[in-house]
Amino acid sequence: MTTTRPRGWLRTDRSLRRFDDVRDLLPDIDNPSPIVRLTRVLSDLDLGLFLKLEWMNPFGSLKDRTAAYLIDGLRDRGELDGKELIEASSGNTAIALAALASLAGTRLTTTIPDGVPEEKKIILRMLGAEVWETPDDLCPADNPKDGAIALARALAASEGGLRFAATEQYENQDNVRAHYQTTGPEIWRQTEGEVRWFVAAYGTTGTIVGAGRFLKDMNPSITVVGVEPEPGHRLPGMKSFKEARVPGIHDPDVIDQTIVVSDESAYRVTKDIWRREALMVGPSTGAVVHAVSEMGAAPGDVIVAMSADSGVKYTSYFEDILGEEGKPQI
Amino acid sequence: MSTDKLIDRHDVSDNPMEDLDCSGLLCPLPVYKAAIVLGRLHHGDLLRLITTDPGALEDVPAMARQRGDRLVSVSVADGHQTFILEKGSLQ
Repeated sequence: MTTTRPRGWLRTDRSLRRFDDVRDLLPDIDNPSPIVRLTRVLSDLDLGLFLKLEWMNPFGSLKDRTAAYLIDGLRDRGELDGKELIEASSGNTAIALAALASLAGTRLTTTIPDGVPEEKKIILRMLGAEVWETPDDLCPADNPKDGAIALARALAASEGGLRFAATEQYENQDNVRAHYQTTGPEIWRQTEGEVRWFVAAYGTTGTIVGAGRFLKDMNPSITVVGVEPEPGHRLPGMKSFKEARVPGIHDPDVIDQTIVVSDESAYRVTKDIWRREALMVGPSTGAVVHAVSEMGAAPGDVIVAMSADSGVKYTSYFEDILGEEGKPQI
Repeated sequence: MSTDKLIDRHDVSDNPMEDLDCSGLLCPLPVYKAAIVLGRLHHGDLLRLITTDPGALEDVPAMARQRGDRLVSVSVADGHQTFILEKGSLQ
Protein backbone atom coordinates (compact mmCIF):
# COMPACT_ATOMS: atom_id res chain seq x y z
CA MET A 1 0.00 0.00 0.00
CA THR A 2 1.35 3.44 -0.86
CA THR A 3 0.81 6.44 1.32
CA THR A 4 -0.01 9.74 -0.32
CA ARG A 5 2.06 12.44 1.30
CA PRO A 6 0.53 15.89 1.66
CA ARG A 7 1.88 18.71 -0.48
CA GLY A 8 4.65 20.46 1.44
CA TRP A 9 5.76 17.31 3.23
CA LEU A 10 9.37 17.62 4.36
CA ARG A 11 9.79 20.98 2.71
CA THR A 12 12.38 23.59 3.73
CA ASP A 13 12.55 24.07 7.48
CA ARG A 14 15.50 26.18 8.58
CA SER A 15 15.03 25.23 12.22
CA LEU A 16 15.79 21.64 11.23
CA ARG A 17 18.51 22.68 8.74
CA ARG A 18 16.48 20.95 6.01
CA PHE A 19 16.31 22.56 2.58
CA ASP A 20 14.54 22.01 -0.73
CA ASP A 21 17.08 24.00 -2.70
CA VAL A 22 20.64 25.13 -2.08
CA ARG A 23 19.45 28.73 -2.55
CA ASP A 24 17.50 28.39 0.70
CA LEU A 25 20.92 28.31 2.40
CA LEU A 26 21.85 31.82 1.25
CA PRO A 27 22.50 34.02 4.28
CA ASP A 28 20.07 36.59 5.62
CA ILE A 29 18.94 37.94 8.98
CA ASP A 30 17.22 34.62 9.81
CA ASN A 31 20.08 32.47 8.50
CA PRO A 32 23.22 34.51 9.24
CA SER A 33 26.76 33.40 8.55
CA PRO A 34 28.39 32.69 11.94
CA ILE A 35 30.62 35.07 13.84
CA VAL A 36 33.40 33.43 15.83
CA ARG A 37 35.52 35.15 18.48
CA LEU A 38 39.30 35.10 18.14
CA THR A 39 40.66 34.20 21.58
CA ARG A 40 44.32 33.51 20.80
CA VAL A 41 45.42 35.72 17.88
CA LEU A 42 45.81 39.36 19.11
CA SER A 43 44.85 38.15 22.60
CA ASP A 44 47.28 40.69 24.13
CA LEU A 45 44.98 43.51 22.93
CA ASP A 46 42.04 42.12 24.96
CA LEU A 47 39.52 42.87 22.22
CA GLY A 48 36.09 41.42 21.55
CA LEU A 49 37.18 40.48 18.04
CA PHE A 50 34.80 38.37 15.96
CA LEU A 51 35.38 37.02 12.47
CA LYS A 52 32.28 36.74 10.29
CA LEU A 53 32.82 33.45 8.51
CA GLU A 54 31.43 34.08 5.04
CA TRP A 55 32.96 30.84 3.79
CA MET A 56 30.15 29.02 5.56
CA ASN A 57 27.82 30.32 2.82
CA PRO A 58 26.70 27.69 0.26
CA PHE A 59 29.07 28.72 -2.53
CA GLY A 60 31.94 29.48 -0.19
CA SER A 61 32.31 33.23 0.17
CA LEU A 62 30.74 36.58 0.98
CA LYS A 63 30.04 36.93 -2.74
CA ASP A 64 27.07 34.58 -2.42
CA ARG A 65 25.12 37.58 -1.16
CA THR A 66 26.30 39.84 -3.98
CA ALA A 67 25.62 37.28 -6.70
CA ALA A 68 22.09 36.56 -5.50
CA TYR A 69 21.24 40.28 -5.46
CA LEU A 70 22.89 40.91 -8.85
CA ILE A 71 20.83 38.17 -10.50
CA ASP A 72 17.62 39.18 -8.75
CA GLY A 73 18.20 42.78 -9.84
CA LEU A 74 18.68 41.79 -13.48
CA ARG A 75 15.57 39.64 -13.37
CA ASP A 76 13.46 42.30 -11.66
CA ARG A 77 14.49 44.90 -14.26
CA GLY A 78 13.74 42.49 -17.10
CA GLU A 79 17.38 42.50 -18.23
CA LEU A 80 18.06 38.79 -17.78
CA ASP A 81 15.51 37.40 -20.20
CA GLY A 82 17.18 34.52 -22.01
CA LYS A 83 20.68 36.01 -21.76
CA GLU A 84 23.90 34.61 -20.40
CA LEU A 85 25.68 36.41 -17.58
CA ILE A 86 29.02 38.15 -17.86
CA GLU A 87 31.14 39.42 -14.98
CA ALA A 88 34.74 40.38 -14.26
CA SER A 89 35.72 38.65 -11.05
CA SER A 90 38.73 37.49 -9.09
CA GLY A 91 36.81 34.26 -8.63
CA ASN A 92 34.38 34.35 -5.74
CA THR A 93 31.65 36.41 -7.39
CA ALA A 94 32.05 34.30 -10.48
CA ILE A 95 31.76 31.06 -8.50
CA ALA A 96 28.51 32.18 -6.86
CA LEU A 97 27.18 33.59 -10.14
CA ALA A 98 28.06 30.41 -12.02
CA ALA A 99 26.21 28.28 -9.47
CA LEU A 100 23.16 30.53 -9.38
CA ALA A 101 23.18 30.92 -13.16
CA SER A 102 22.97 27.14 -13.57
CA LEU A 103 20.02 27.02 -11.21
CA ALA A 104 18.38 29.85 -13.16
CA GLY A 105 18.85 27.96 -16.44
CA THR A 106 21.57 30.15 -17.90
CA ARG A 107 25.36 30.30 -17.94
CA LEU A 108 28.20 32.56 -16.84
CA THR A 109 31.12 33.85 -18.87
CA THR A 110 33.74 35.38 -16.62
CA THR A 111 36.91 37.35 -17.19
CA ILE A 112 39.38 36.82 -14.38
CA PRO A 113 42.76 38.43 -13.67
CA ASP A 114 45.93 36.53 -14.45
CA GLY A 115 47.00 35.78 -10.89
CA VAL A 116 43.85 33.96 -9.79
CA PRO A 117 44.82 30.51 -8.48
CA GLU A 118 44.16 27.41 -10.56
CA GLU A 119 41.79 26.06 -7.93
CA LYS A 120 39.27 28.81 -8.63
CA LYS A 121 39.50 28.44 -12.40
CA ILE A 122 38.80 24.72 -12.17
CA ILE A 123 35.88 25.27 -9.79
CA LEU A 124 34.38 27.73 -12.27
CA ARG A 125 34.73 25.34 -15.18
CA MET A 126 33.25 22.54 -13.08
CA LEU A 127 30.23 24.78 -12.52
CA GLY A 128 29.86 25.19 -16.28
CA ALA A 129 31.28 28.70 -16.61
CA GLU A 130 33.39 29.88 -19.54
CA VAL A 131 36.61 31.35 -18.11
CA TRP A 132 38.61 34.04 -19.90
CA GLU A 133 41.94 34.54 -18.15
CA THR A 134 42.97 38.13 -18.57
CA PRO A 135 46.32 39.84 -18.02
CA ASP A 136 45.85 42.99 -15.93
CA ASP A 137 47.73 45.01 -18.54
CA LEU A 138 45.71 43.64 -21.47
CA CYS A 139 44.36 47.01 -22.53
CA PRO A 140 47.11 49.65 -22.34
CA ALA A 141 44.77 52.28 -23.78
CA ASP A 142 42.38 51.79 -20.84
CA ASN A 143 43.08 51.45 -17.13
CA PRO A 144 46.36 49.56 -16.78
CA LYS A 145 45.30 47.25 -13.91
CA ASP A 146 41.72 46.48 -14.89
CA GLY A 147 42.08 44.29 -17.96
CA ALA A 148 39.44 41.82 -16.78
CA ILE A 149 36.87 44.58 -16.31
CA ALA A 150 37.63 46.07 -19.73
CA LEU A 151 37.33 42.66 -21.39
CA ALA A 152 34.00 41.92 -19.69
CA ARG A 153 32.63 45.24 -20.93
CA ALA A 154 33.86 44.54 -24.45
CA LEU A 155 32.21 41.12 -24.42
CA ALA A 156 28.97 42.58 -23.04
CA ALA A 157 28.90 45.10 -25.90
CA SER A 158 29.63 42.44 -28.53
CA GLU A 159 26.98 40.69 -30.63
CA GLY A 160 24.81 43.79 -30.40
CA GLY A 161 24.55 43.44 -26.64
CA LEU A 162 22.03 40.63 -27.18
CA ARG A 163 23.99 37.67 -25.81
CA PHE A 164 25.09 38.85 -22.39
CA ALA A 165 23.54 40.51 -19.38
CA ALA A 166 26.31 42.29 -17.47
CA THR A 167 26.12 42.00 -13.70
CA GLU A 168 28.75 44.79 -13.27
CA GLN A 169 29.51 44.22 -9.58
CA TYR A 170 31.84 47.25 -9.50
CA GLU A 171 29.11 49.65 -10.64
CA ASN A 172 25.87 47.97 -9.58
CA GLN A 173 24.09 49.24 -6.46
CA ASP A 174 22.56 45.78 -6.02
CA ASN A 175 26.00 44.80 -4.72
CA VAL A 176 25.79 47.46 -2.00
CA ARG A 177 22.14 46.62 -1.29
CA ALA A 178 23.03 42.96 -0.67
CA HIS A 179 25.23 43.94 2.24
CA TYR A 180 22.99 46.74 3.48
CA GLN A 181 20.07 44.33 3.70
CA THR A 182 21.84 41.17 4.90
CA THR A 183 25.43 41.52 6.21
CA GLY A 184 24.82 44.72 8.18
CA PRO A 185 21.60 43.59 9.89
CA GLU A 186 23.13 40.21 10.71
CA ILE A 187 26.12 41.85 12.43
CA TRP A 188 23.90 44.23 14.36
CA ARG A 189 21.73 41.37 15.60
CA GLN A 190 24.60 38.94 16.29
CA THR A 191 26.41 41.52 18.43
CA GLU A 192 23.17 42.68 20.08
CA GLY A 193 24.02 46.20 18.95
CA GLU A 194 27.36 46.22 20.77
CA VAL A 195 29.56 46.32 17.65
CA ARG A 196 31.88 49.38 17.69
CA TRP A 197 34.21 48.59 14.76
CA PHE A 198 33.53 47.05 11.37
CA VAL A 199 36.52 45.99 9.30
CA ALA A 200 36.51 44.75 5.70
CA ALA A 201 38.89 44.53 2.77
CA TYR A 202 38.65 46.77 -0.28
CA GLY A 203 37.60 44.94 -3.44
CA THR A 204 34.43 46.07 -5.17
CA THR A 205 33.71 47.95 -1.89
CA GLY A 206 30.17 46.53 -1.90
CA THR A 207 30.64 44.91 1.52
CA ILE A 208 32.23 47.83 3.33
CA VAL A 209 29.90 50.42 1.85
CA GLY A 210 26.70 48.39 2.25
CA ALA A 211 27.27 46.84 5.68
CA GLY A 212 29.17 49.91 6.92
CA ARG A 213 26.33 52.21 5.88
CA PHE A 214 23.75 50.04 7.65
CA LEU A 215 25.78 49.90 10.86
CA LYS A 216 26.33 53.67 10.84
CA ASP A 217 22.60 54.17 10.30
CA MET A 218 22.05 52.11 13.46
CA ASN A 219 24.85 53.80 15.43
CA PRO A 220 26.78 56.68 13.86
CA SER A 221 29.68 56.22 16.31
CA ILE A 222 30.64 52.84 14.81
CA THR A 223 34.03 53.07 13.12
CA VAL A 224 34.30 51.56 9.64
CA VAL A 225 37.79 50.50 8.61
CA GLY A 226 38.82 49.62 5.05
CA VAL A 227 41.82 47.38 4.43
CA GLU A 228 43.89 48.00 1.31
CA PRO A 229 46.76 45.93 -0.08
CA GLU A 230 49.99 47.40 -1.39
CA PRO A 231 50.38 47.91 -5.16
CA GLY A 232 51.52 44.71 -6.86
CA HIS A 233 50.05 42.61 -4.03
CA ARG A 234 49.15 38.93 -4.08
CA LEU A 235 45.98 39.05 -2.01
CA PRO A 236 43.11 37.65 -4.12
CA GLY A 237 39.88 39.61 -4.07
CA MET A 238 41.52 42.76 -2.74
CA LYS A 239 42.19 45.96 -4.68
CA SER A 240 44.79 48.67 -4.25
CA PHE A 241 43.27 51.91 -5.45
CA LYS A 242 46.76 53.19 -6.16
CA GLU A 243 46.78 50.87 -9.18
CA ALA A 244 43.12 49.95 -9.84
CA ARG A 245 40.20 52.20 -10.68
CA VAL A 246 37.98 53.12 -7.75
CA PRO A 247 34.62 51.30 -8.24
CA GLY A 248 31.58 53.38 -9.06
CA ILE A 249 29.75 52.02 -6.00
CA HIS A 250 32.47 53.18 -3.58
CA ASP A 251 31.32 55.76 -1.06
CA PRO A 252 34.26 57.22 0.90
CA ASP A 253 31.86 58.95 3.33
CA VAL A 254 31.15 55.54 4.91
CA ILE A 255 34.84 54.84 5.61
CA ASP A 256 36.55 56.30 8.67
CA GLN A 257 40.01 54.76 8.29
CA THR A 258 42.00 52.96 5.63
CA ILE A 259 44.86 50.70 6.66
CA VAL A 260 47.37 49.44 4.10
CA VAL A 261 48.64 45.91 4.73
CA SER A 262 51.62 44.18 3.13
CA ASP A 263 51.46 40.67 1.68
CA GLU A 264 54.02 39.53 4.24
CA SER A 265 51.87 40.71 7.18
CA ALA A 266 48.68 39.30 5.67
CA TYR A 267 50.11 35.82 5.05
CA ARG A 268 51.87 35.72 8.43
CA VAL A 269 48.61 36.48 10.26
CA THR A 270 46.68 34.06 8.02
CA LYS A 271 49.03 31.26 9.04
CA ASP A 272 48.68 32.31 12.66
CA ILE A 273 44.87 32.13 12.42
CA TRP A 274 45.02 28.63 10.88
CA ARG A 275 47.37 27.31 13.55
CA ARG A 276 46.16 29.08 16.71
CA GLU A 277 42.45 29.46 16.03
CA ALA A 278 41.97 26.42 13.74
CA LEU A 279 40.10 28.64 11.28
CA MET A 280 41.05 27.85 7.68
CA VAL A 281 40.70 31.39 6.36
CA GLY A 282 41.85 32.93 3.10
CA PRO A 283 44.66 35.50 2.77
CA SER A 284 42.37 38.54 2.86
CA THR A 285 41.26 37.52 6.36
CA GLY A 286 44.88 37.70 7.49
CA ALA A 287 45.07 41.22 6.03
CA VAL A 288 41.89 42.28 7.81
CA VAL A 289 43.00 40.87 11.18
CA HIS A 290 46.42 42.49 10.84
CA ALA A 291 44.64 45.82 10.25
CA VAL A 292 42.70 45.30 13.49
CA SER A 293 46.01 45.33 15.36
CA GLU A 294 46.83 48.77 13.95
CA MET A 295 43.51 50.63 14.01
CA GLY A 296 43.53 51.81 17.62
CA ALA A 297 40.72 49.79 19.21
CA ALA A 298 40.50 49.89 23.01
CA PRO A 299 40.39 46.81 25.27
CA GLY A 300 36.89 45.36 25.37
CA ASP A 301 35.77 46.95 22.10
CA VAL A 302 33.51 44.71 20.04
CA ILE A 303 34.89 44.36 16.51
CA VAL A 304 33.48 42.43 13.58
CA ALA A 305 35.96 41.69 10.80
CA MET A 306 34.94 40.05 7.55
CA SER A 307 36.44 36.67 6.71
CA ALA A 308 35.51 36.77 3.03
CA ASP A 309 36.40 33.21 2.12
CA SER A 310 38.30 30.13 3.23
CA GLY A 311 41.85 29.24 2.38
CA VAL A 312 41.11 26.00 0.59
CA LYS A 313 41.02 27.81 -2.77
CA TYR A 314 44.51 29.22 -2.20
CA THR A 315 46.57 26.18 -1.34
CA SER A 316 48.93 26.89 -4.23
CA TYR A 317 49.62 30.34 -2.73
CA PHE A 318 50.18 28.83 0.71
CA GLU A 319 52.61 26.33 -0.75
CA ASP A 320 54.76 29.28 -1.82
CA ILE A 321 54.88 30.78 1.69
CA LEU A 322 55.40 27.45 3.44
CA GLY A 323 58.57 26.49 1.59
CA GLU A 324 59.89 23.38 3.31
CA GLU A 325 57.86 23.96 6.47
CA GLY A 326 55.88 20.92 7.60
CA LYS A 327 57.95 18.44 5.63
CA PRO A 328 60.08 15.87 7.45
CA GLN A 329 63.50 17.36 8.24
CA ILE A 330 65.67 14.31 7.69
CA MET B 1 41.09 57.13 -47.74
CA SER B 2 43.79 54.65 -47.04
CA THR B 3 47.01 54.99 -45.08
CA ASP B 4 49.74 52.40 -45.02
CA LYS B 5 52.66 52.31 -42.65
CA LEU B 6 55.52 49.89 -43.07
CA ILE B 7 56.88 49.39 -39.58
CA ASP B 8 59.69 46.97 -40.31
CA ARG B 9 61.53 46.39 -43.58
CA HIS B 10 62.48 42.85 -42.59
CA ASP B 11 61.30 40.65 -45.53
CA VAL B 12 58.44 38.40 -44.39
CA SER B 13 56.74 37.83 -47.74
CA ASP B 14 57.33 34.06 -47.71
CA ASN B 15 56.27 33.46 -44.10
CA PRO B 16 53.06 31.47 -43.34
CA MET B 17 50.13 33.82 -42.66
CA GLU B 18 47.04 33.36 -40.49
CA ASP B 19 44.02 35.68 -40.60
CA LEU B 20 41.97 36.96 -37.66
CA ASP B 21 38.99 39.22 -38.34
CA CYS B 22 37.96 41.15 -35.24
CA SER B 23 35.67 43.59 -37.02
CA GLY B 24 32.97 44.88 -34.72
CA LEU B 25 34.77 43.81 -31.55
CA LEU B 26 35.68 46.41 -28.95
CA CYS B 27 39.08 46.66 -27.33
CA PRO B 28 40.52 44.76 -25.60
CA LEU B 29 38.84 41.79 -27.35
CA PRO B 30 40.98 42.07 -30.52
CA VAL B 31 44.27 42.05 -28.59
CA TYR B 32 43.01 39.22 -26.38
CA LYS B 33 42.13 37.06 -29.38
CA ALA B 34 45.29 38.07 -31.26
CA ALA B 35 47.45 37.07 -28.29
CA ILE B 36 45.81 33.62 -28.23
CA VAL B 37 46.36 33.10 -31.96
CA LEU B 38 49.96 34.37 -31.77
CA GLY B 39 50.53 31.94 -28.92
CA ARG B 40 49.67 29.07 -31.29
CA LEU B 41 51.96 30.25 -34.10
CA HIS B 42 55.62 29.45 -34.60
CA HIS B 43 58.47 31.93 -34.50
CA GLY B 44 58.41 33.92 -37.76
CA ASP B 45 54.77 33.08 -38.66
CA LEU B 46 52.55 36.03 -39.55
CA LEU B 47 49.13 37.13 -38.34
CA ARG B 48 46.92 39.46 -40.34
CA LEU B 49 44.62 41.12 -37.81
CA ILE B 50 41.64 43.19 -38.92
CA THR B 51 39.94 45.51 -36.43
CA THR B 52 37.44 48.35 -36.43
CA ASP B 53 37.87 49.79 -32.92
CA PRO B 54 40.25 52.79 -33.20
CA GLY B 55 41.64 51.84 -29.78
CA ALA B 56 43.39 48.96 -31.53
CA LEU B 57 45.83 51.44 -33.07
CA GLU B 58 47.23 51.94 -29.56
CA ASP B 59 46.58 48.50 -28.05
CA VAL B 60 47.92 46.24 -30.80
CA PRO B 61 51.40 47.84 -31.00
CA ALA B 62 51.56 47.82 -27.18
CA MET B 63 50.61 44.15 -27.10
CA ALA B 64 53.27 43.33 -29.71
CA ARG B 65 55.92 45.16 -27.68
CA GLN B 66 54.91 43.38 -24.46
CA ARG B 67 54.87 39.95 -26.08
CA GLY B 68 58.04 40.43 -28.05
CA ASP B 69 56.30 40.09 -31.41
CA ARG B 70 57.08 42.30 -34.41
CA LEU B 71 54.54 44.71 -35.86
CA VAL B 72 55.37 44.57 -39.56
CA SER B 73 52.78 46.98 -40.95
CA VAL B 74 49.57 48.85 -40.20
CA SER B 75 47.06 50.08 -42.76
CA VAL B 76 43.85 52.03 -42.20
CA ALA B 77 41.08 52.09 -44.80
CA ASP B 78 37.28 52.45 -44.73
CA GLY B 79 37.08 52.24 -40.97
CA HIS B 80 39.16 49.07 -40.79
CA GLN B 81 42.68 48.70 -39.43
CA THR B 82 44.83 45.87 -40.78
CA PHE B 83 47.86 44.83 -38.75
CA ILE B 84 50.53 42.39 -39.91
CA LEU B 85 52.29 40.86 -36.92
CA GLU B 86 55.24 38.48 -36.92
CA LYS B 87 55.45 35.98 -34.08
CA GLY B 88 58.55 36.68 -32.01
CA SER B 89 60.94 34.27 -30.39
CA LEU B 90 60.24 35.22 -26.77
CA GLN B 91 56.93 33.41 -26.33
